[in-house]
Amino acid sequence: MLRFIATRLVQLVVICFLISVFAFLLVHLLPGDPTLAILGPNDTPAARAVLLHQLGLNKGLLSQYGTWIINILHGNLGASFLTKQTVSNALGVAVPIDLELVIVSQVLALLVAIPMALVAALRPNRIFDRVATTSTFAMLSLPTFVAGPLLVLVFAVTLKWVPATGFNRLSQGFGPNLKSVILPSVALAIGSITVYYRLLRADLIATLQEDFVTMARSKGLSTRYILMRHVMRPSSFSLLAGAGISIGTLFTGAFVVEVLFQLPGIGFQLVNAIYGRDYLVVQGMALVAAVAFVVVNFGVDFLLTVLDPRVRRA
Amino acid sequence: MADSADRYDRRAFLARGATTAAALGLAGVGLPTLLSSCSSTTNNKATPRLSAPGIGTGKPKRGGTITVGLNSEIDGFLPSTNHFDNSGLTYANSVYDTLTMIAADGSAKPYLATSVTPNPDLTVWTITLRPGVTFHDGSPLNADVVLANIQSLQASALTGQALKGVVSTMVKVSDMSVAITCSEPIVAFPHYLATQVGYVVGMAQLESQSSTKPIGTGPFSLVEWVPNDHMTVQRNPHYWRAGLPYLDGVTYRPIAEDQSRENSLKSGTIDLMVTRDPNAIRDLQHDSGYQVVRNPSVGQNDMDFVILNTSVDPTNDLVVRQALAHAIDVDQLVKLFGAGIAKPNLSLFAPGSPYRTADNGYPKYDLAKAKALVAQAAPNHGGSIKISLATITDPRLLNEIQAIASMWELAGITTTISEVEQVTFIDNLVTGHFQAYTDEMFAATDPDLNYVWMSPTTANPPIALNFSRNKDDALEAALQQGRTSSDPAVRIKAYQEVDKRLSADLPYLWASQATWSLMGSNSVENFNNLTLPDGSAALGFASGTFDPTPAWRKD
Amino acid sequence: MSEAAEPSGAFVSHGTVATGMLGPEGVVATLAPTGFLPKKGKGIGITFWICAGWVLFMILLALLASVLPLKAPNFQDYSSVNIGPSARHLLGTDDLGRDLLARVIFGSRVSLVIGFAPVLIGLVIGGMAGLLAGYRSGPADTVLNAVSFVLLAFPALLAIMVIETFWKPVTLLKLTIMFAFVSAPLLFRVIRATTLSFSSREFVVAARATGAKTSRLLLRELLPNVLPAAVSFALIGVAIAIVLEGSLAYLGLSIGLPTSSLGNIINDGVNSNNLSLNPYIALWPSLYIFLLLTALNLMADRLRSYFDLREVSL
Repeated sequence: MLRFIATRLVQLVVICFLISVFAFLLVHLLPGDPTLAILGPNDTPAARAVLLHQLGLNKGLLSQYGTWIINILHGNLGASFLTKQTVSNALGVAVPIDLELVIVSQVLALLVAIPMALVAALRPNRIFDRVATTSTFAMLSLPTFVAGPLLVLVFAVTLKWVPATGFNRLSQGFGPNLKSVILPSVALAIGSITVYYRLLRADLIATLQEDFVTMARSKGLSTRYILMRHVMRPSSFSLLAGAGISIGTLFTGAFVVEVLFQLPGIGFQLVNAIYGRDYLVVQGMALVAAVAFVVVNFGVDFLLTVLDPRVRRA
Repeated sequence: MADSADRYDRRAFLARGATTAAALGLAGVGLPTLLSSCSSTTNNKATPRLSAPGIGTGKPKRGGTITVGLNSEIDGFLPSTNHFDNSGLTYANSVYDTLTMIAADGSAKPYLATSVTPNPDLTVWTITLRPGVTFHDGSPLNADVVLANIQSLQASALTGQALKGVVSTMVKVSDMSVAITCSEPIVAFPHYLATQVGYVVGMAQLESQSSTKPIGTGPFSLVEWVPNDHMTVQRNPHYWRAGLPYLDGVTYRPIAEDQSRENSLKSGTIDLMVTRDPNAIRDLQHDSGYQVVRNPSVGQNDMDFVILNTSVDPTNDLVVRQALAHAIDVDQLVKLFGAGIAKPNLSLFAPGSPYRTADNGYPKYDLAKAKALVAQAAPNHGGSIKISLATITDPRLLNEIQAIASMWELAGITTTISEVEQVTFIDNLVTGHFQAYTDEMFAATDPDLNYVWMSPTTANPPIALNFSRNKDDALEAALQQGRTSSDPAVRIKAYQEVDKRLSADLPYLWASQATWSLMGSNSVENFNNLTLPDGSAALGFASGTFDPTPAWRKD
Repeated sequence: MSEAAEPSGAFVSHGTVATGMLGPEGVVATLAPTGFLPKKGKGIGITFWICAGWVLFMILLALLASVLPLKAPNFQDYSSVNIGPSARHLLGTDDLGRDLLARVIFGSRVSLVIGFAPVLIGLVIGGMAGLLAGYRSGPADTVLNAVSFVLLAFPALLAIMVIETFWKPVTLLKLTIMFAFVSAPLLFRVIRATTLSFSSREFVVAARATGAKTSRLLLRELLPNVLPAAVSFALIGVAIAIVLEGSLAYLGLSIGLPTSSLGNIINDGVNSNNLSLNPYIALWPSLYIFLLLTALNLMADRLRSYFDLREVSL
């Protein structure tokens, strides 16, 4: 067990290191003179001096990397050369938004997927099951960049139930905050519903065929009771697995949703930084986003292998 | 259609009157129109307006905040180093004041200054400052601060270039007045003091050169600025204009995408928005739930045009430029993209401007002529004319260049189109790395303000503010005449000549005036009723720049 | 290996639909059979063939686009702007008077290339590597495994966006290369895992015992067994690639003007005023993508049901 944890940690560290190297090389892979590219119209001798000091471009590549990493470990992820806003500040705004989006969208997805899967598993291959499976299949084929604008057109512009853009902080009240988050979360949840539904349904059907269930039935327990008490818990691991898979789609979907709804999460800030050729911000943000993605994946994976006694630890 | 009628309650239905009938009448056109017309009529504040949009009726109400949607984000608050596009000027208007302000009739009147008087030959201007004005940090407005401001503008690479031909030296005359000597007699100098050049920034900010923490004398002071998210300001309790502003605070939200911003206004997320999208005007101008303020006819508006680089091949050839001009069917272009709101305008000046002649000689659409000119010029450019046309990442503009490219192709010009990000776009204009770009500029309360963008004197490398880099002596002569003559009749003749020269030399291919507008829901009142200290009307919204000082909340 | 794994992998064996990137080791993505097994003895089912036929039809249309009697996709007819479906324009026109049917079919060329080409490249390269690695574990296998692990850990959209920042302008070739980089490790792992699970089986051992050459073994014995899983995954990979291109287009980061991919056309259709003025611009390419994705997902699904593909621990 300890060996297992150790191997995983080492892998995690190695990957994070490689990501940092890649992010670092980013600025140095720019064609032409990076200072020129970064400064743009603000190219004055004073500005150049500041930037050179910031980037340390006069020293060797290795020492630059070292300085950069040390800065990061001290919390200095760089700053926008244009707006002077630090990446840490921008992240301070972005991370709560992304967290809320992820939580609300996954809760929504589960609220829809779990009951659907339960009903479908109880009566497999009947009408509800077929309809549910077909419709989740359809959801799979509806990309976020199509579903999103449609949702805005219907719910924000026509019905005016929710705002079309912008994020209301929790400090402005729970109601406004939820209103500004609900539509983007629905757009994101669409992709996850299918994952949870199919996983859970398949798992439930399989577990329901197991011996201990047949035994419980023969004891006279109703199927519903059995489902709740004995089957949900082992099947809930599939939900955790689903969460792990969802992370991938969530990541891509979040970028689109944030740009569409103008929510200043990491995706939105990153896209803006790329448009504005704010390379230092791209570097810092990309690093954080990638590391977060990797860590979460590892975390979910780790939890799965540790918690579920049925999975082999290869 | 019955479906949407159910959404209105009876009162709204009756109060709507003509609007509802119009909306219902459009039903036959199909679902999309249905959605767009219905969306704007579910607002229940349905009583038709009695006064002009943006002009308040009744007593001003103190308190409350509004949210304003802008079309772009700025990169900072320092006039000497940051880009002040219309959003930059709007942000600046909240926290700073300018030395002069433009009145509703287009003349420049003192604002932060109490007087701006020239000597007889218009080369030295004495600016007397308003007493008793303090900055947000408590420091006083005095001659030293104003001098420091102008010096910092001169020292900056960006604004220094623009200021070089205008200001040469300045002295402190007394504690509250300065005298500025211009490099030549400039009739319109007071107008300059109402632009980016005229914002007076606190000494502490000048010393720290902070672009994120503005210290001004303006009606509001900064609370927080989160780039690309929002900017919040709160009322300045020591503002020198008694009783103003009415609002407790304003929040600005940059929403780059036109449709998103319009959606935000419609869904109530923002109270007011600035836009140049003619589609928004078409959607909301007849909707009594919104007040739509159009660009004023005073002064010069932003023009939408294609800018040609006259210093590179093949656009350095006048024949090629003429071919490009003749090949564009401007009427068709405006019909496609103007939403029925924009109108073709083949001149630097708007219709109704005294500087516009009946016929300025601009080339009219003539495909046959274009083809002939292409055939004539091709041998001098290796056998065929190849142009690259680019624009910024804006959906409407991207579509527009596809149309223009197709028109040029019909004339035999091989056109490649591409998209450039905003930052690179500006870079390329300034350094001359482009052939043909779409552009939008030339808004000015006095034509002389555009001198620096058009003059041959600013057309030299490495950084040329005359992006087109055309060197036309006749143009320079006319510009100079307009700049230095105080006789209005002479100025009129001079600028008419400027327009004619531009039509002959063709550095710019005109399309139409930019359709800027300021739109508010009925929750905001009086947002376009800016006044001068003496109570007379000032020029409020113009070319995308907005000042929140006179606004108040309805509810 | 699969026999031993049966009871342990209850949820893992009925994996999930990989709608996003996979998590690193352990959890996995095989795709959950929906449980609608075809009737016994009936072959893979009519649904599979309908879908396959549909996909082939779409590919054929795209290939033959220049020969078909379509209007020129870039021809702007200003007298027919924003016309709905009519006799002269079967699907209507867009805001520049261009025929939508032509635009969709010519646009599908780009989208199909981006969907299939990288995956085909990935199948060939990743597949061959996977076969070899799975069959003959050794140092090469460990290295490739590690490399693919790292490549998979990084979120795809982020990597592509960041690379695009300095690798301008974006062309079809560049996107294909980037997408291929993303799909090859995936296919490598799938094929390697499947190969591993088969290489200890009796028929392989028997073949080796009779002195069969490695290449014969790989081609005759392993490949046919590995192919269904590989193809199933590849189909999902195509779906993912198409959605990825659409997301990039929405962010304005797909192929530059004047090439149109379906993603670009949709982006055009949902931006500015088009969605309310002329929803057909967004509708037809969205419908096309929806049908294509549904067909691909269904095919992958049927393959799995038919071949009863189970757990593949990556």
